[in-house]
Amino acid sequence: MFSLIYRMVRDRALAEDLAQETFIKVLNAIKTYKPEYKFSSWIFKIANNAAIDHLRRRQIDTLSLDGSPSARSPEEMHASAPQLGDQAESPLDEVESRELGGAIEQAIARLRPEYRSCILLRHVEGHSYEEIARMLDLPLGTVKTYIHRARNELRGYLEGARE
Amino acid sequence: MNERPQTHLTADEIELWATGLLGAARTFHLTECAECLAVAERERKLLVELAQLQRFTPSADFAEKVLAQVRIPAPSGSHHG
Repeated sequence: MFSLIYRMVRDRALAEDLAQETFIKVLNAIKTYKPEYKFSSWIFKIANNAAIDHLRRRQIDTLSLDGSPSARSPEEMHASAPQLGDQAESPLDEVESRELGGAIEQAIARLRPEYRSCILLRHVEGHSYEEIARMLDLPLGTVKTYIHRARNELRGYLEGARE
Repeated sequence: MNERPQTHLTADEIELWATGLLGAARTFHLTECAECLAVAERERKLLVELAQLQRFTPSADFAEKVLAQVRIPAPSGSHHG
């Protein structure tokens, strides 16, 4: 669960705050848990909502890593995108750069949040499409579409990075 | 007559193949379709990379911080005095 939140917000301290918030919500609302719902799915649902709510509040989205939305060419996008190591890094920044600096992690970060949630829940956390649909309150077809599109985008980013 | 599925594999079928769950009949299509095989191999590679991603853990005092903020209900039916 912590891994999911961390990959969603890409900030270790913030991920810890959101994970704490999640556990506190879970423990305080334990009486409202419905046993027909898988317990781990319930926790992931609350965790994912916390991360998505944060991203919406702060408007941190995939554009932040892709560069300026007004860029007219891939070169302009690259030039306007924040680069790791642009500024002096704190020890925590260095940890984050090391943990999330690989090509696959950077590719995941470029996905829009809805795609990112779905791909992480499916292929990193190992949930079924049906569980993800219930967790995210989305139709099953939408979840499948998001995951297929996310995989296509990831392959594109990774192949672009390796060329 | 040897009947072979001619349609390309769907995204769902490619995921099933990449995870070893696609039936033999549809798997056979990969022996005769280089296009599907190339897509499937790329997909498998991606799924392996995703499955191998590092599992992150919070800091050592995480549980302590959480428990400090949770209301622990008194056990029901407890004996007094």
